Amino acid sequence: MDANAPQFLVALEASGLGLAIRQSPWVYPAANVGHVVSVVLYAGAVATLDLMLLGVVRGDDRVASLKRARSWAMALFVAVALTGLVLFIAEASHVALNRVFQLKLVLIVGALVNAAVLGARAIRAAEALPDDASLPPSVRGAAYVSLALWIGVVALGRFIAYV
Amino acid sequence: MATMTRIASFCALVLTLGTAGAALAHHGWGSYDARNPVTVAGKVLTSKYENPHVALTVQAADKVWTVTLAPTSRMINRGALLEMVAVGRDISALGYPSTAEKDEMRAERITVDGKTIEMR
Repeated sequence: MDANAPQFLVALEASGLGLAIRQSPWVYPAANVGHVVSVVLYAGAVATLDLMLLGVVRGDDRVASLKRARSWAMALFVAVALTGLVLFIAEASHVALNRVFQLKLVLIVGALVNAAVLGARAIRAAEALPDDASLPPSVRGAAYVSLALWIGVVALGRFIAYV
Repeated sequence: MATMTRIASFCALVLTLGTAGAALAHHGWGSYDARNPVTVAGKVLTSKYENPHVALTVQAADKVWTVTLAPTSRMINRGALLEMVAVGRDISALGYPSTAEKDEMRAERITVDGKTIEMR
């Protein structure tokens, strides 16, 4: 317990839920594995989406493929967030003060904002163009930003335990 | 050909990031000073047999230390059961002091009743 953390996070860690997560022999390890597995699948969906926007991955009916990849990414993000929340609650007060975790959160927010802005614009752009045409530089740029930010998020996630 | 070049540069990027990561994470127990091991010996004051790491506070000669041990599954596998690190037990822990948290150390091995158990 780190008393320097915001009070609600100290309370969250000390709560019955926090205790149950820490004392169960399987909940924490299961959330740990579940987080990595859902991150891997999520990263796959995001990479497919971004590489399709960059024209590296091509398929029939670009707009439909983009929308399908986006739906998968959204669903898998929920799994990533829920498993991550379990890991967070167990150690809320410590993790919240961890510099790497704080930076990871900033990148996540940045990547989500980028995705929210990019998502609608990219699909509109793809709808207006033939399937084999390059998308506008702004969309391609945002796809690069998305790849870079999510790779950064994964790397930082791994480093939380090492600072 | 352009596709091959792209795939190759992507792989190079991943390799670079991966290698940088491995170098940073090399010591595994980041933020513990492995060059200055300490031995904390005394009575267990509090004991949390919980994930992700079992944690004790131990009344040593100089001060009260927070002693971080292994995850519960590893503790159980190696025979360091709950009663071995229960409140009131006499424990000796060899480990490394934290460079981030005051009076905290991470145990490499613990000895209780003449029985030594490795924590990693």
